[in-house]
Amino acid sequence: MRAWRRWVALLDRREVGTTMALCRILIGAAALYTILNDVSIVTPVLLDVSEGGYRPLGEGPFLVRWLGGPSKELTFGLIAANIASSVALIAGVLPRVMALVCLQAHIAVADLNTQAGGSYDELLSNALWLMVFARSDTTLSLLCRLRTGRWTDRETLVPAWPRYLLMFQLLLVYTSTGTQKLSTHWLPGGDLGALYYILLQPSWSRFDMSWLAWVFPVTQAATLGTWLFEVFAPLLLIAMWGRSDRVKAGPLRRLLCRIEYRDLFAFFGVMMHLTIHAVMEVGPFSVISLAFYPALWHPDEWARMARVIGTASRRSAATSSPSRTPDRPAG
Amino acid sequence: MAVNEPDPRGPLRAIGRQLRAVLITAHIFAVFILAFPAPSGGMNRSAWSDPTVQAEFVSWSARLQAMGLESSPESLEETLWSWAQSYMQRRRDLLKPFMPYYRYCGTYQTWRMFIAPHRNPARLHIDIYEDGEWRPVYIARHPQHDWKGELLDHERMRSAIFRYAWKHYGRSYKHFGEWIAAEAAEEFPEATLIRLRYERFRTPTPEQVREENRPPSTFVHPRTFQLETFR
Repeated sequence: MRAWRRWVALLDRREVGTTMALCRILIGAAALYTILNDVSIVTPVLLDVSEGGYRPLGEGPFLVRWLGGPSKELTFGLIAANIASSVALIAGVLPRVMALVCLQAHIAVADLNTQAGGSYDELLSNALWLMVFARSDTTLSLLCRLRTGRWTDRETLVPAWPRYLLMFQLLLVYTSTGTQKLSTHWLPGGDLGALYYILLQPSWSRFDMSWLAWVFPVTQAATLGTWLFEVFAPLLLIAMWGRSDRVKAGPLRRLLCRIEYRDLFAFFGVMMHLTIHAVMEVGPFSVISLAFYPALWHPDEWARMARVIGTASRRSAATSSPSRTPDRPAG
Repeated sequence: MAVNEPDPRGPLRAIGRQLRAVLITAHIFAVFILAFPAPSGGMNRSAWSDPTVQAEFVSWSARLQAMGLESSPESLEETLWSWAQSYMQRRRDLLKPFMPYYRYCGTYQTWRMFIAPHRNPARLHIDIYEDGEWRPVYIARHPQHDWKGELLDHERMRSAIFRYAWKHYGRSYKHFGEWIAAEAAEEFPEATLIRLRYERFRTPTPEQVREENRPPSTFVHPRTFQLETFR
């Protein structure tokens, strides 16, 4: 009973809306990037064979079925709805409704041809579903501008639990994929050649990566690092728990706080996704994954970071601009 | 409202907080059990006979033997197959009540990403028969032979083309071949035939790359179409 009360109390927490607004903007941008990326291949991939597509699409996903089955008009209508709702989400116009519209349009378009999709489709739909419940328009939105005359609002509080669920979803992705990496090429004790061999697969590489043979130990280190990062991702939950209650924290939580595990995790994760995006063609997977990352920081931490950046940029501007004091005459 | 007056919304608010916690817990449970490791999509005997999968059985069997556990690759495969079947049946029963939630709310969790490198990948080749000889027009990731490259190199098509190298996607591969043939019939008016095939090769070890001693490749799943029928 005590654990349940603490759980209810945790879900009751409220905070300033900065983090959720940042997530909204990035998830909206990821959705827009995803759909714009598909515009060039609509006819052959997302239309039925009777309308120029390469394979029969059957009845289509549930929304398409309810709207009369796959057709050119419906597909383009869904794409238009997807684009419009993504833009509205970025701008912060009715974000909950727009997240729902974007989610349903995305599922309908992505599931038209189930053989031509990737995990990124599901990652995006999970993000959009959580945004349906998030109050993300209190700051950094058009609504905020209209309501307060400013782009930011540091006073209105919003529920924190959608941020916790975004964090949980990110960790679930890493842990699930990490624990399923049972190939001997991934596991410590094997040859740690997984990344080397994956990058040599023509299906996913952006260009010929044979040169990796000369830096094989580097790829081995990256393989081990990736496996450890994914399998031990749940440690982040313990680290975050430790941050929230340092007094009662046990030795593991104290250690994770001392080494700033959250920041190390985020640094490794961001680097990993940027590298994947640079060398592999796996669609917008990295872009969507990175849209979850702002959830790792409390709004107060974002405010501190903004202050530090603001002060640094003001200092930089002051030193680079000419002095306001007139030069003293020589002599 | 006076300070001492009880908040009439109090009990409702308390119920709402409990209900919210129940629903969030249900969400976490639903996504967790779906994300829990499982060989979904891999319960196909023809997929298990793929050389990459077979190599994993050999490798794991050697590992188990090194740990003192008697296991041949064949017996390991059989044991895993029957275990996986029963596990997947129980998993299906557990997931059943949540299926509408996954389907309508977009909460599917299938994060089996690069769980094993494909050591015997396949590269799509498309050739046309023109002036009495075969000529390549598309080879995946080839800088020169890139006919329809904008489409075939798009990540959605890469995903589909990757699948069509597996036997159990034969029907879709045929549809894809027919579409490609129809496009080629228009764009190469002199060509009489078009051929799709996959070049299967074992990814070279670092030593093999450095010594320029790459394993030989073989062509599999050839499909040839008369272009006249598409004109």
